[in-house]
Amino acid sequence: MFENFTLTDRSVFAIAAAMYGAGFFYGCRILRTDRPYSRTVMFSLLLGGFLMQTLGLNLRGTAVRACPLGNPFEIAQFLGWSLILLFLIIGPAFRLRFLGFFTAGLSTLLTAGAFLVPAWDYVYVSKTTGENAWIELHAALALFSYGIFGLLSLVSIMFLIQEQGLKKKQFKQIYQFLPSVQQLDLMAKRLLIGGLLLLSASLIFGAVFWVKDFERVPVFKLTATCLVWLGYLTIFTLRIRKKLINRRHAIASIGLFIFAMASLWPIQSLRSMKLPPTGAALTSQVPVAAPSR
Amino acid sequence: MNTVLESLFILGISHHKTPLDVRERLALTEAEATELQKQIYLGTGIRECVVLNTCNRIEIYALAEDLSELAVVRSRLCLMKGFPENAFAEYAYSYNNLQALQHIMEVSAGLDSQIIGETEILGQLKQAYTMALQANTTDKVLNRVFEKSFHAAKEARRKTWITRGQISIGNVSVDLAARIFGKLSDSRILLIGSGEIAEKTAQALKSRGVRDISVSSRTLQNACKLAGSLEGTAIHFDNFKNQLHHFDIIICSTAAPSLLLDKGCLLKAMKQRPDQPCFIIDLALPRDVDPSADSIENVYLYNLDDLSGIADKNLEARKADIENARRILKKHAWNLWLQLRRSELMRRV
Repeated sequence: MFENFTLTDRSVFAIAAAMYGAGFFYGCRILRTDRPYSRTVMFSLLLGGFLMQTLGLNLRGTAVRACPLGNPFEIAQFLGWSLILLFLIIGPAFRLRFLGFFTAGLSTLLTAGAFLVPAWDYVYVSKTTGENAWIELHAALALFSYGIFGLLSLVSIMFLIQEQGLKKKQFKQIYQFLPSVQQLDLMAKRLLIGGLLLLSASLIFGAVFWVKDFERVPVFKLTATCLVWLGYLTIFTLRIRKKLINRRHAIASIGLFIFAMASLWPIQSLRSMKLPPTGAALTSQVPVAAPSR
Repeated sequence: MNTVLESLFILGISHHKTPLDVRERLALTEAEATELQKQIYLGTGIRECVVLNTCNRIEIYALAEDLSELAVVRSRLCLMKGFPENAFAEYAYSYNNLQALQHIMEVSAGLDSQIIGETEILGQLKQAYTMALQANTTDKVLNRVFEKSFHAAKEARRKTWITRGQISIGNVSVDLAARIFGKLSDSRILLIGSGEIAEKTAQALKSRGVRDISVSSRTLQNACKLAGSLEGTAIHFDNFKNQLHHFDIIICSTAAPSLLLDKGCLLKAMKQRPDQPCFIIDLALPRDVDPSADSIENVYLYNLDDLSGIADKNLEARKADIENARRILKKHAWNLWLQLRRSELMRRV
């Protein structure tokens, strides 16, 4: 029965995206029908999606024999995976109501959206793992920090909604599900520090590679990443000095995340332009052995 | 077929038809309620019985050999309280069979309460049932009736708006405070003035974990008295403006003819705590706080109209959902009725 069944990394990613989508639609349904929100349902859907995505990344990593961060499709999958991983850690620990709904929404956008542009999943030449160890660590840490900044922007959106609701004396629909403004503000601060530390570490590891091979690091990529880092460092400094707080802090965090995401695309475009055209079929579609009888 | 279930009845009086003075005359003490339950169970042809005694209602739930026992139960209650039976009949109501099941479920869910959806009645019903269980005045039928009623009430509450959303100023304030601060245990409250609603609001906040309460009033004696009852401290009225930045929640309820807190004063306080929100509840009429203070970042200003508006909308939502809750309860009552009929038939076979 299973002999003709092959599970490719893309199909696993698709199942994960569907599960995140199911979580998002569950949240939408709760908002529409005004019924009680079950954390267990949301958590289970996201956990299921996360496990599938981990499997997908593992299959893709085996195929390319490296950390799968070589094209925009993989980056989108990795970012979605980081977001969900963070939610699975932060969600139960801090019990931030409805964070799962927002995380599911952004992860669906990233992971399912990546399927809508087939050109994103182009074939690339992967170097051997040993040679690329530093740069892979740099890339993985950088993208994981972007995941933290993604979650920070979601928390900021939740803060703005709750704050607006309180100012406008709104008390039903989404407002009743969201955590308090103080909880959200505190979480935003923690995420900002965590993300900044990780991005700083990523830049340090990247610098090791840069010092070794100055020519191979694109100037645009270096500038964009440094700008993102500088942006978050500025937000952090201003926040510590109580110059950029609450509403303005939330808006700045969302704006900078959009900039960070936007800067990823030209970086990848430049990278793909440098690669030789292959025209080959996707080598990353690795079939999984069907269970034998 | 005349089954014994046809003699399942409820006899009672409630706030719907019975004025307060009559309810006062008929009110039972705990000992009287226990005694009445015992008398009904032992002295007549009653198989099972439970007596519910609250400030808004007295109800006797019973399973009798015959429906004529209802008159006997009525006599016992009137005799105990020395109340004329013909006058009692004017205020009393009774239900039997399926109607009785529907009634008890509506009572459990708070649909029959003065404040729709209130949850206190469920606790009172559970207490009455526990007392009856301890006195061995219930058996299979009433046990099942009560347990199913509690279950049905829980479902009706979960699936509808009948208990969601607060409908008193104090509780609406607590909900809003929770939306701003989350946990209230670390919040500091300042009460300016010693109005009754302000006191109730402070008590509601205290019941949710607030530990640090300060009171300031023109009359220091009043402030000390209120602070004492709230286990807080009193602040001199001339001094409170300099200490505003220490407080997370400020409740104003003075009788001052003009504004007590203007925007400038609050801006000054917020400069000292820019990243900490401040929830201001203005319960005074005329208002104590400048309405334009609402535009200050991190200040959430709510006046009496805002709070009562929220409470009214919550009440409307509760009322709008009564029919939905009733439908859920009817379904449960019907299922229970069928179950009881089936087990009664089985017993006969």
